[in-house]
Amino acid sequence: MNKKLIAIIPFLIFMFLCVFLYQGLFGNPRELQTGRIGQVMPSFTLPDLMVDEKQWQNTDLLGEVYLLNVWGTWCPTCIAELGYLAQLRSQGVRIIGLYYEQAYDPDFGDQFDMNALRVEVKSMLDRAGDPYQFNILDLERTLALDLGVSGAPETFLVNKEGKILLHHTGDINPRVWRAKFAPAIQELSQ
Amino acid sequence: MKYVLMILTMLMSFAGHTVEDKYEFSSQERAATFKELTHELRCPKCQNQNIADSDAIVAKDLRDKVVTLVHEGKTKEEVIDYMIDRYGYFVHYQPPVTPATIILWVLPIFIVVVGFGFIVFRQKKASRKQVWDANDEAKLTKLIAQYQRKEQQ
Repeated sequence: MNKKLIAIIPFLIFMFLCVFLYQGLFGNPRELQTGRIGQVMPSFTLPDLMVDEKQWQNTDLLGEVYLLNVWGTWCPTCIAELGYLAQLRSQGVRIIGLYYEQAYDPDFGDQFDMNALRVEVKSMLDRAGDPYQFNILDLERTLALDLGVSGAPETFLVNKEGKILLHHTGDINPRVWRAKFAPAIQELSQ
Repeated sequence: MKYVLMILTMLMSFAGHTVEDKYEFSSQERAATFKELTHELRCPKCQNQNIADSDAIVAKDLRDKVVTLVHEGKTKEEVIDYMIDRYGYFVHYQPPVTPATIILWVLPIFIVVVGFGFIVFRQKKASRKQVWDANDEAKLTKLIAQYQRKEQQ
């Protein structure tokens, strides 16, 4: 009896490994943990992308549930999701853009041309759809760093009190919306 | 030929320079802290590169942030906490001990202990003195007799 039991142990270990490794096949290594979920939006003061002199602060965003969508015209996936996001906007979802400028790097003496960027953004939003209530320009990516953003597109769901509830890396499509965002928003409205 | 070789070796020595040479620090100690940090912090965009190796925008931003924090006199632990606060445990190459990761620390020790235990157990068993009594003697004679008979047939 005892010997039989011992003989079975390698088989059990093998089975355990099989299950464990098989599971790993479906893991998504891009799915990151993030440090910011459950915390309030970090404080910031950043300019509006389109309006001169207009500054946004974290306190300006309080009071309503919103999505903060990190994007840039240089990012093809961001462009691809604009259409769907615009559709969400028409359904009453409040979406705020955080413009993530990739090309700008003062260390290399880059000159930043605000007007050129505005023209580019406007033509892009006219073509692909405009989901944004307004856009915040994070030229030096300081807010992006404080939020743990690793690239674009990324989207945060923030509640009325400014607490970050979700951090999604990658595009938002109907599948992601149904699986992740819709239930969370539903829960908030209850 | 000599000159070509000389120039080549000089060029190669340039290739060896790494990221940290771009930044200047007030003390050797801070430079060392920066070097350690950029090798220990993981680029959040590119799966398996540290931020010293990676050319991703976010890796550069993290490097710049590490420089700023080190300049401010933050310790290594403080910088790591700052990054984990924003990017999660993913950003540090050393996983923390939590209920989910405890197996990583315990399993190797467990295997070593069980392995040694097994070896010791086997040796003890093998070295135990065996007594040879009349009973065994009788059994042996019987067996020998059996085989002899078989051979004769």
